[in-house]
Amino acid sequence: MKSNAFDRLRKLLSRDSERGLMKSAAIVFVSLVVFVLVWWALSSIFPSEYFPSPYKVGVALVDSFQNPDPNTGVTMWQHMSKSLVRFLWGFALAFVIALPLGLLMGFSNIVENFGRPIVEVFRPIPPMAWAPFFFVIVGVYWGPVMPVLLGVFFPVLSNVVFGVKSVDPLLLDVAKTQGADRLTLFKKVILPSAIPYLMTGIRIGLGIGWMCIVAAEMIVAFGGGVGLYISVMSQVGKWDYMFAGMVVIAALGILTVEISGYIERRVSKWMGMK
Amino acid sequence: MDGNEIVLSIKDLHKSFRKDDGGLVAIEDFNLDIMDGEFVCVLGPSGCGKTTLLRIIAGLEEPTSGKILLKNKEIAGPGSDRGMVFQEFGLFPWRSVRKNIEFGLEIRKIPKEERRTISDRYIDLVGLKGFETSHPNELSGGMKQRVGIARALANDPAILLMDEPFGALDAQTRNLMQKELLRIWSEMKKTVVFITHSVDEAVFVADRVVVMSARPGKIKSIFDVEWERPRDRSGVEFASLRKKILAELEIETVFNR
Repeated sequence: MKSNAFDRLRKLLSRDSERGLMKSAAIVFVSLVVFVLVWWALSSIFPSEYFPSPYKVGVALVDSFQNPDPNTGVTMWQHMSKSLVRFLWGFALAFVIALPLGLLMGFSNIVENFGRPIVEVFRPIPPMAWAPFFFVIVGVYWGPVMPVLLGVFFPVLSNVVFGVKSVDPLLLDVAKTQGADRLTLFKKVILPSAIPYLMTGIRIGLGIGWMCIVAAEMIVAFGGGVGLYISVMSQVGKWDYMFAGMVVIAALGILTVEISGYIERRVSKWMGMK
Repeated sequence: MDGNEIVLSIKDLHKSFRKDDGGLVAIEDFNLDIMDGEFVCVLGPSGCGKTTLLRIIAGLEEPTSGKILLKNKEIAGPGSDRGMVFQEFGLFPWRSVRKNIEFGLEIRKIPKEERRTISDRYIDLVGLKGFETSHPNELSGGMKQRVGIARALANDPAILLMDEPFGALDAQTRNLMQKELLRIWSEMKKTVVFITHSVDEAVFVADRVVVMSARPGKIKSIFDVEWERPRDRSGVEFASLRKKILAELEIETVFNR
């Protein structure tokens, strides 16, 4: 018996029993406390305005949410919502293009042979290298969306192609003997088989996409954005506020990955592979 | 159901595979008529082309020459008029037991209530009541193959094709499943073509045992087994027939060394 993606997914999800979950949650908590303590210690040993203590960053963080900062004129809420909207647009566009393209490339050799060289030419170019071009083409507000799109696009595409190609040939034979035509094979066998791979692509894409949005906003972002905030704060020398921006990015990044993990679990449960 | 009508007719079947070092003849001069309601076992050493034969009947592979008639109609490609049971079960992991069984019915666009009636009937027949909503990963090997059998039968095929269906099961489950299959077979009165490499299994279940030779795969001999079922594996008759068939197979293996 070969182990397929479903088995791996299942193992991954069933590993945590309730007690195990409690235990790992406790360890996560301890790890975070240790991290903050080390940070505190280092910032006291090497006092510097460039390296604020966690307390100062915490104060700046709270302040950034409560009061609009004088340099950008808006609160952190607004920066966050701008970044999130751009991120979601980039993600949605990438998904809408990459999923059907990946399914087609996995299903048809002609499409794959045609698409593969083009994809391979574009893949090694870091999404950020496109940023200046996109700022000119789509403007400074939508510009940062495009690097996100590219960052999400490739992992989703490759995982979907791989998922379609990894479909168990036995299941295709079964479906044929049950009277399935090509379209039915696609809908009822290939598509569901590819879903766990798609979810993996999404999870990887979310991580990359999140880095892209912040980096692109640091170059330029009209109307706010957490990346913009960080860049502006460093330019005006408000280092504690800059670090506060980084904390927000980390928190939002963790949140998106957690949400995708939750969806991944829900999907696999719904598909009966919990 | 008088048993005189030919359901499946295999005529002058040849199959060769193209290989880099010339062709490999998998099946040669294969002629066989299978009667309505008959239980036929095809037995042979590994690599004798018995699985290829079944795949051709199923329409998953094309013969090089010759033809196969199902109820006097030549088969072309796979279809739900032949139900196939696979050694490795081939259940859809994302579908429940019921949805696996209803797969072919869905494809044929049978309305939901009717699908449910049919799947209920076959779930009952194979003894899986209470497991309707279970998924394959929650089932044992024997239960998985019960689903496989129910799924193949749900389309009400003219013939049931079984490719070493119990080959992936442990010996005890295997014996149990043979009995279960005979019970289902006597209730359904289906024609069965059953591939196996186990002489014991063939003698236990079949009306007729077709012994194949390897490379090229041909019919070597055919044994009729006319005893009442359930058969006694430890009986003298059983042992002597098994010995005779084993001898046939051994000559076969020696020749091919």
